[in-house]
Amino acid sequence: MYRSPVREPLITGNKDLHDITVDIARPIETSANKWWWSLFIVSAIAMLWGFGCIAYTIGTGVGVWGLNNTIGWAWDITNFVWWVGIGHAGTLISAVLLLFRQNWRLSINRTSEAMTIFAVMQAGLFPLIHMGRLWVGFWVFPLPNQYGPLWVNFNSPLLWDVFAISTYFSVSLVFWYMGLIPDFAMIRDRAIKPITKKIYSFLSFGWSGRAKHWQRHEVMSLVLAGLCTPLVLSVHSIVSMDFATSVIPGWHTTIFPPYFVAGAIFGGFAMCQTLLLIARKVVNLEDYITMTHIEYMNIIILVTGSIVGCAYITELFIAWYSGVEFEQYAFLNRATGPYWWAYWAMMTCNVISPQLMWFKKLRRNILFTFIIALFVHIGMWFERFVIIVTSLHRDFLPSSWSMFSPTFVDLGIFIGTIGFFLVLFLIYARTFPVIAQAELKTIVKTKSSKYNKNKNGE
Amino acid sequence: MKEQKKYFKSPYLKGNEDFLHKEFSDKLPVDHFLADQKENNYGTSRRDFLKFLGFSTAAAVLSSCESPIQKSVPYLNQPEEIIPGVANFYASTYYQENTFASILVKTREGRPISVSANKDYEKITSHSGGLNSRAYASVLSLYDSNRLKSPLKNNNEVSWDELDNEVIKSLNQISKTKNKIVYLSPTIISPSHKKILESFQKKYNNLEVVYYDPISKSAIIEANKSCFGESFIPTYNFDKAKVVVSFEADFLGDWLDASHGRKYSSRRNPGTNMSKHYQFESLLTLTGSNSDKRVPVNPDEQLKYLMYIFSKLSMTKQEVVIENLNHKAILDNICKELQENQGESLVISGSSDPQNQIIVNAINYLLDNYSKTIDYNNKSNLYSGVNSIFKRFLDDVEANKVGALIINDLNIIYNVPQLRDKLNNIKLKVQITDSKNETSKYMDFVCPKSHFLESWGDANPYTAIYAIQQPTINPLFNSRESEQILLKWSGYEESYYNYLKTFYKNMSFKKSWNKILHDGYCEIDYKRNDYIFSSKVAKDITKNYNPSQSNKNDTFLVLYSKISMGQGYQSNNPWLQELPDPVTKVTWDNYLTINPVHAKKLGLKNWHVSNGALNGDVVLIKMGEKSIKAPVYIQPGQKQNVLGLCFGYGRTEAGKVASGVGVNAFEIHDNFNLVQKNNFSITKVEGVEHEFACTQNSHTMMGRSIVKETTLNEYLKNPKSGNEDFKLESYKGKVSPSELNLYQEWEPSVHFWNMSIDLSKCHGCGACVIACHAENNVPVVGKEEVRKNRDMHWLRIDRYYSSDMTKDLAEEKGIGAIEMYKMMEEPASEENLEVVFQPVMCQHCNQAPCENVCPVAATTHSNEGLNQMTYNRCIGTRYCMNNCPYKVRRFNWFNYKDNDNFDFNMNDDLGKMVLNPDVTVRARGVMEKCSMCIQNIQKTKLDAKRERRKVRDGEVSIACETACDTGAIVFGDALDSNSRISKEKKHPRTYALLEELNTQPSVFYKTKVRNKNKINKNV
Repeated sequence: MYRSPVREPLITGNKDLHDITVDIARPIETSANKWWWSLFIVSAIAMLWGFGCIAYTIGTGVGVWGLNNTIGWAWDITNFVWWVGIGHAGTLISAVLLLFRQNWRLSINRTSEAMTIFAVMQAGLFPLIHMGRLWVGFWVFPLPNQYGPLWVNFNSPLLWDVFAISTYFSVSLVFWYMGLIPDFAMIRDRAIKPITKKIYSFLSFGWSGRAKHWQRHEVMSLVLAGLCTPLVLSVHSIVSMDFATSVIPGWHTTIFPPYFVAGAIFGGFAMCQTLLLIARKVVNLEDYITMTHIEYMNIIILVTGSIVGCAYITELFIAWYSGVEFEQYAFLNRATGPYWWAYWAMMTCNVISPQLMWFKKLRRNILFTFIIALFVHIGMWFERFVIIVTSLHRDFLPSSWSMFSPTFVDLGIFIGTIGFFLVLFLIYARTFPVIAQAELKTIVKTKSSKYNKNKNGE
Repeated sequence: MKEQKKYFKSPYLKGNEDFLHKEFSDKLPVDHFLADQKENNYGTSRRDFLKFLGFSTAAAVLSSCESPIQKSVPYLNQPEEIIPGVANFYASTYYQENTFASILVKTREGRPISVSANKDYEKITSHSGGLNSRAYASVLSLYDSNRLKSPLKNNNEVSWDELDNEVIKSLNQISKTKNKIVYLSPTIISPSHKKILESFQKKYNNLEVVYYDPISKSAIIEANKSCFGESFIPTYNFDKAKVVVSFEADFLGDWLDASHGRKYSSRRNPGTNMSKHYQFESLLTLTGSNSDKRVPVNPDEQLKYLMYIFSKLSMTKQEVVIENLNHKAILDNICKELQENQGESLVISGSSDPQNQIIVNAINYLLDNYSKTIDYNNKSNLYSGVNSIFKRFLDDVEANKVGALIINDLNIIYNVPQLRDKLNNIKLKVQITDSKNETSKYMDFVCPKSHFLESWGDANPYTAIYAIQQPTINPLFNSRESEQILLKWSGYEESYYNYLKTFYKNMSFKKSWNKILHDGYCEIDYKRNDYIFSSKVAKDITKNYNPSQSNKNDTFLVLYSKISMGQGYQSNNPWLQELPDPVTKVTWDNYLTINPVHAKKLGLKNWHVSNGALNGDVVLIKMGEKSIKAPVYIQPGQKQNVLGLCFGYGRTEAGKVASGVGVNAFEIHDNFNLVQKNNFSITKVEGVEHEFACTQNSHTMMGRSIVKETTLNEYLKNPKSGNEDFKLESYKGKVSPSELNLYQEWEPSVHFWNMSIDLSKCHGCGACVIACHAENNVPVVGKEEVRKNRDMHWLRIDRYYSSDMTKDLAEEKGIGAIEMYKMMEEPASEENLEVVFQPVMCQHCNQAPCENVCPVAATTHSNEGLNQMTYNRCIGTRYCMNNCPYKVRRFNWFNYKDNDNFDFNMNDDLGKMVLNPDVTVRARGVMEKCSMCIQNIQKTKLDAKRERRKVRDGEVSIACETACDTGAIVFGDALDSNSRISKEKKHPRTYALLEELNTQPSVFYKTKVRNKNKINKNV
């Protein structure tokens, strides 16, 4: 079998097939430590606080947020786009990298897909609760009815969003679950307690490991990967069209679809990075998520960060070049208006900070990587805030110019979704095989340090 | 299902499925889901049977769940004139706070729901309606839950009989003593009321009637007394004046007569006949904002300028020398123009100093304006209060000479706070009032007065006009008219209605009683005498005139009243509280206005907090022993060293709406002077900040072409000046935006409802905003929500100040864009400041950005060119609001009805009676906006259909158009080529707001034309 003479091994610590099984099953078979519990409790409190704020919003009215007549969307849609963006990396890693035969994906795809699903769940919350009348929200679906031509408005990008997000969520979920089946079966086979065995045998859908099963599994994975790939591009393109098809200066921009997709991958990888850096420490996965993985992800962050930076500068250039007064003012206002700090926070975090990844030393430094990933989260959040709020707050008629200030409910819901996300993730980390071990085992012979000793001469 | 047999239904059906007048143009698509085509052929199939079985079981189960039943009680004997669903209109009269208007009251199912101008009165008489925002809002005051519900004795409820007996007993006792009985009232314009007072006086012969107008026009009356030998106020014909020079007279706001605006604007059509308006003023008023040339001056310089004009006009050959005269060039120019337009000019002054008014009279006399622009025969009776008489009354109270005080419709303790401790000496104190107020607790008896919509009454506002007030609803509470009360106390047992009827029958008018009642007014011929004008008084003043050495450090406090609040009579009316001040755009407040430079000197600041709302410093105003705390509002354009404070606020016992809002300027209304000079001090109160609720926080147009403006000269040369065609660069070359359309062109089919707004005529007074509230059930949201920029006004009036920075100037001086925009945000300096107003409501775009983006098609386009909002379908994503370039959509952030957090009229059963039954009260979470009064369009269309004719031009009554006294708003069907709107649409001044977006609005604006020589490019 071919072994690369220069590439670093993707699995370190001399693991053989059995070691992998044991390592992956360990978090599920042992009980949680103090760290897990304390993080879980904090997240759960945040989540409950967020749920409380959501209940308050639904019970009282959207007026409990800081919105006003001029700024109809602010943190709600900012958070929505932020979470959807985060949800991008998972599919990209598992689908696109699968099609490109990037084996390093194998250690991280399960977690990044889980992240995708949890993030899309958070994202999906916001369009729901931002509605004035959630209880009639189902009208966004083209349901047959007796009212003759009463139908949804297919011209509305918000409707496209409904389809895009729901499709993305369901395909991602199926794809993720497909991969999980052999791993659940592995856990089922090792389980000793009857209830655990029952649950995992249910979850593994009677997987027997027969060749036919494997063959179908592989084909299905490939088909779903093929389905997912265009979705990676479509979802955020459509989200961006919420803005791009409008007339508001700062929204009405043709560059948005590619710029949003790049931004989403950028933000998604940063979240992947954050979660994996914690996970490899907490559940001892250093051997599977190696420095190489981190470096690869950092390179993607660097590349997409640069694309995003280019997009920012293109926007500024086009605003000047277009000669449109409103457009020009909108961008001047972003950089020098009352929300200049948001714009410069975005610029610093998204454009400048990833550029440090050009230095190999830095991009292989775990602490530095972690800090930059946090910077990217902040930057990407501010990107959406800048696009949404600073475009809306000063549009065409100065008479209706306004400002936005979040209330405790805005804040509570945002923190609540972070809590909810972490709760889901923490539960996942203890009950799901966090690495796609069945797939990973396929590269043990080629990419593991046990069999690939030419780098360090072990 | 198969239709097996056809039974005879109507002759139309014979051989023709498409019968006339069918309810649905298409078949309801029931068959599609009930059965498919194939099974249709076989009659009811097994599957259909099962479907019906399932459906009927479900229906039977569901129908057994009872929904709450609200029982309504029908009329036992239905009144003849009331048809449920059809509005009745009654002519009546509005007179409050010295403002008169002939009105038309709209009632539905027996309750008045709105008032509007009596258009016949306007058409036939030379007078105009004069309805201001207060008159439009007065219908809500009828349903004020704070109204007095029964007579009170020492604050305990009593019956009318008991009250009558005790009051009559006391009056009889007092009439036997030396002490006076004083009937204190604001100016009474009701002839029958005066007649009743006469008989009242006969019964109690020591009765004295004292008129007190909280903001008196005493100076004019006294000046006329000196000049003409008679105390009166003339009527001013602004429609006949080509040159108007006003000194501090806010005649478009709240000065003298609300009907001035209409007359004034009739001369504001751009053309050779357009009037020229100069305004000398210290504060920035509504009138100054609309003037062609506004000159900020100190209030005490007024006499100097008047003197200069007077001398210059009377001594044409000599050179007039007055020391330290500013604005000489302007004054010389004014003199020239006045002389050129003798008999077609008008000089007025708002001063409360009779001297100034005498000079004004003399100037008008010199200019031959009397009997032309000033009608001294047709007198205005709206203000009769004379300060000296009221002061004598105060002395009487002090000297213990008043035995009984009957206060009619006044809140004297609020207006004259120094009376507070002096009333104890009076033996009998009676108040006639419609709601409990600051005065009531000092009274022995409080008599509930019926609201004017519940009362009979009459009025003689001008010599030539008699008007009748008729009730449109039975008194809601145990109340009476003032006249009825007086009749009772004078010993008549007759009802006031009979008295009034007899009174008018005896007047021998040309019109019969019923005719007057129907029309609401009667015009009479009046004698036209020539008065002898004594110019001696004016000459004396000139001779003795010694221009006071004005000190640079002189500070002035100018007390003013604004159009929405007046004297505070209706301050408990939430519509008026939420109506933004026309100039400052502040709601729910009064404040000390101050010039920006002056404020900086004193270290006073206004600043915006993180949600964009305005905060300000608070100052302590000390005047003698009195002191009040007021927030500071920095007002560009106001003269330096002049401070302004508005009347009508600071009520403490007004009810749930007004109590605690603002400060009471009457506290420092020292000596009834509107201008206080150097007798006060202001100091900043440390550590306190005031929260304002402004509806507009950015004040300039930022160099954008929003309100297009030109000068009269330019306009006469080129009618399209200021409104040059907008062209976009494109691959086709320069084209108009509509040629670059992505969408299908929308074509109107039957009607095409359009609206035109003439910015030259709009004064920004805000009456339309209130009329819109009343018509469309627009909720009041309160100060906190307005502060958060969540006002619900469907129609707002944008006000922009000019800026000293323009794009041309920036280019000339090489100023960069960032710096330029920063400077553009700043309003111009006081000398250069100009103001424009622009009403903005839903523009009903025919390529509407909002319609595209709604996911559930809740906002759609009608085939008549209207953008429709379907509240029932709205899920509240607010996408439409974001995508609206005009930001006219309003979201129901909360439930505004039956919600204790919004304790205004929609939170109590009484207040809800004002709601228009034709318009839905919107639920929480839905978007709303201007519907172009679709309910009235529909009604008019149905009327026309029933009468088998086309809708006539001007027949549809749109709340804002009807309310607009100046005729700035024109509404109609643009498919009707003879309609007014079709002509407006083709007018060279017409333009669409933000036309570069190609939204193709159904609302368009007409360029503002100012009668001045040079254009300020960046207004």
